[in-house]
Amino acid sequence: MITTALTFDELSTLMKQAAGVTVDARELEKAPDAPFTTLGLDSLGLLGIVGELENRYGVALPTDAERCKTPGEFVDLVNHTLRTGV
Amino acid sequence: MNRRVAVTGIGVVAPGGIGSRAFWDLLAAGRTATRGITLFDPVGLRSRIAAECDFDPADHGLDPDLSRHADRYIQFAVVAAGEAVRDSGLDTDAEDPWRVAVSLGSAVGGTTRLEHDYVLVSEGGRRWDVDHRAADPKLHMAFSPSTLSSVVAEQFGARGPVQTVSTGCTSGLDAVGYAFHTIAEGRADVCISGASDSPISPITMACFDAIKATSPDNDDPEHASRPFDNNRNGFVMGEGAAVLVLEEYEHARARGAHIYCEIGGYATFGNAYHMTGLTSEGLEMSRAIDSTLDQARLDPTLIDYVNAHGSGTRQNDRHETAAVKRSLGSHAYDTPMSSIKSMVGHSLGAIGAIEVAACVLALKHQVVPPTANYETPDPECDLDYVPRNARPRKLRNVLSVGSGFGGFQSAVLLTGPGGRTR
Amino acid sequence: MSTERPRRAVVTGIGVIAPNGLRADAYWKSVREGLGVLDRITREGCEDLPLKVAGEVRGFDPSDLIEEPFLVQTDRFSHYAMAAAQLALDDAGLVHDGPEEPFSIGVVTAAGSGGGEFGQRELQKLWGQGSKFVGPYQSIAWFYAASTGQISIRSGLKGPCGVVASDEAGGLDAIAHAARGVRRGTGAVLVGAAEAPLAPYSMVCQLGYPELSTVEDPDRAYRPFTSAACGFVPAEGGAMLVVEEESRARDRGAAVRAVVAGHGATFTGASRWEESREGLARAIRVALDEAGCAPEEVDVVFADALGVPEADRAEALAIADALGAHATRVAVTAPKAGIGRAYCGAPVLDTAAAVFAMEHGVVPPTPNVFDICHDLDLVMSRARPAELRTALVLSRGLMGSNAALVVRRGDESAR
Repeated sequence: MITTALTFDELSTLMKQAAGVTVDARELEKAPDAPFTTLGLDSLGLLGIVGELENRYGVALPTDAERCKTPGEFVDLVNHTLRTGV
Repeated sequence: MNRRVAVTGIGVVAPGGIGSRAFWDLLAAGRTATRGITLFDPVGLRSRIAAECDFDPADHGLDPDLSRHADRYIQFAVVAAGEAVRDSGLDTDAEDPWRVAVSLGSAVGGTTRLEHDYVLVSEGGRRWDVDHRAADPKLHMAFSPSTLSSVVAEQFGARGPVQTVSTGCTSGLDAVGYAFHTIAEGRADVCISGASDSPISPITMACFDAIKATSPDNDDPEHASRPFDNNRNGFVMGEGAAVLVLEEYEHARARGAHIYCEIGGYATFGNAYHMTGLTSEGLEMSRAIDSTLDQARLDPTLIDYVNAHGSGTRQNDRHETAAVKRSLGSHAYDTPMSSIKSMVGHSLGAIGAIEVAACVLALKHQVVPPTANYETPDPECDLDYVPRNARPRKLRNVLSVGSGFGGFQSAVLLTGPGGRTR
Repeated sequence: MSTERPRRAVVTGIGVIAPNGLRADAYWKSVREGLGVLDRITREGCEDLPLKVAGEVRGFDPSDLIEEPFLVQTDRFSHYAMAAAQLALDDAGLVHDGPEEPFSIGVVTAAGSGGGEFGQRELQKLWGQGSKFVGPYQSIAWFYAASTGQISIRSGLKGPCGVVASDEAGGLDAIAHAARGVRRGTGAVLVGAAEAPLAPYSMVCQLGYPELSTVEDPDRAYRPFTSAACGFVPAEGGAMLVVEEESRARDRGAAVRAVVAGHGATFTGASRWEESREGLARAIRVALDEAGCAPEEVDVVFADALGVPEADRAEALAIADALGAHATRVAVTAPKAGIGRAYCGAPVLDTAAAVFAMEHGVVPPTPNVFDICHDLDLVMSRARPAELRTALVLSRGLMGSNAALVVRRGDESAR
């Protein structure tokens, strides 16, 4: 079990690093249901973020992680996995 | 100038058998050549399966320098070209060398060798400032993809236009297409054309792992490549080469050559959509198909077989099905469409040429090769994919299509005897 | 036969990212002045390699022209190509808000080495840390088709797209490929090449070229056609051109800057420079023939200028063989002596220089070259004013390809 959790700040940083997409963390927080695609993040970009998180936390994220359509959905799923291990 | 272009020779190095005869036997039997990777230890990878060639350069009379030093993908190409030239009966010494061209494709060229030597000069990936003293002095041969066509041109004395084509996974189709233009427009009379790749290496497997494009069915490699099947889950890496001798039609006739078929048309377009993604509409591939049909002034209803890209990824097979329906209309439902990647895997740039070779052999034998492993229909892929068993059929006009990373969408039309009914 | 006038392929836009200039006009100014910019290689990790001098692109910030997501997923060679492509489109006045007819414009690039720096980074992750550390962009950044694909996507160009992965001469082959596409029916093709071979492992890969100069003095490292010729110096960067169907260009009021009139390509074997004489001469004849151009009509030759004595001799003789008595009179130049050879990008840069030279009526000089040991009228020291209607661009590849391209002034009436 891991006690840390993915924040919108971290997601914003990851989106910048992994995909070159600049989105303010506050915006993600305010509109967690805005689709990744409208934010400019494509499927490869999300795969890169998933890979980075898996390497960082040493856990495998479920396949659903790379299929998430929105930041809110993604953060919830990642944090659920980190909390429960599944 | 718009001259007719004939296929007069064919050579193949493919998983499951070296030589066009062994290759066709595999396809006709619907056997699969996919297995656990043996070329390196794939431990730790998500996809640890591939369609490998059982290839020993010593078996093919390569000269010692090529046998010892050339990259595997170049050895494949030289062997396939040798078979194709022999098959064509062309006496390369008697040809005007300036009228003999070479057009060969490869998606990743010398990557496997580059990776091998990288490990040596970087102390196993520990150093950015690599140590040149550990490098093979012939490493530049792997660095430059033009080595492929250069070596083959050298072997067969070609001195005309010699080019290497690298449009990702459509390299093979495009190399044949460029060769077609080279002859049709009068820049050469003969062109050795095709493609080769040997991408089964850690870096290439890892990069497709990273985007989850390859099948993770490591426990059942024989059934892992399942194009168009509803349970498909990615492509299976392959390797190999195919080479065709293309020849100006009258040139071939004048020397009494056996003509397998003609190239009826070729087209390529970009999808300008995504480097790896495909739309569900297939508009650009359809446009490529339409263009080849226009060039041959062929009605879509006269297409007898479509050799699909059929990689076995979810979106590819859907994309392609849509494209073929868009171009052939209701005739698509009456047209067999199969993917030989189910049997020989996906050898990236090489596969387009291997698939054109399969079409030439299909025309020769009047048999449609099957889609092996096809069991469960996908509601979004509702065409006749020739499940599991090869099927005899009257074939005159045959289409081979492909998609590549970078958005390339290409199509080549082959017309056999009795084809091209205008 | 149709009486319709044959379609002609013309140059309507030029974009350059080169060691001596980050826009086409800056590049031309440096070329015209004969500025030499060869210098010590400064890239990290290259310090201890025996190759010390090259033409580096410096002061280039790709984000001035290209959006961050495109930069993250590509290598430096594609950064150069995307930037040059955008500059060429701007110059041609094409595609501002997506093309009206996307299928009418294609993209063709030549590539000699792909995304080596990106590839080395990912190889380091794979072998140093493990396969799970390889990122999702390795599959699209390293391969030779990366630049064509990204340019097509970024600008929404769906016409025929292609990649010739040949060596230097491939740059000219790509331009010819584009011109033929235009003659067959494509409206315009964005074509060219840009390379980035100055990363540590890429440099190691080049060390085996017997023609490579490892001389450490930038002023002496690359001096083609001289008795001190000691090989070539590599460079990075390149150029993209908009090659367009003439009536389409004229209808939209675009300036027709030059006509791509003829091309020839042959093969005479890797490093067999003596034989390249015959191959290059033949390529020139084929190109002139296609252009319907007599040898005497060639006003300037942009030489391949490999800087290897044997190769320089073969080139001088090839020009003599193909142009006859005119060979000793025609102005010959090699601007690349001042910037190095950017592999496939080199002859595209030369083609860009040829267009400017015809527009400005001036033959640029050959930097770092002061006296030559071949029977050529090589323009040295300073630019030479001249009425230029037809330019011949030559290129040879280290793996044995020879190519010649004939470009003519845009105002030349159709022949």
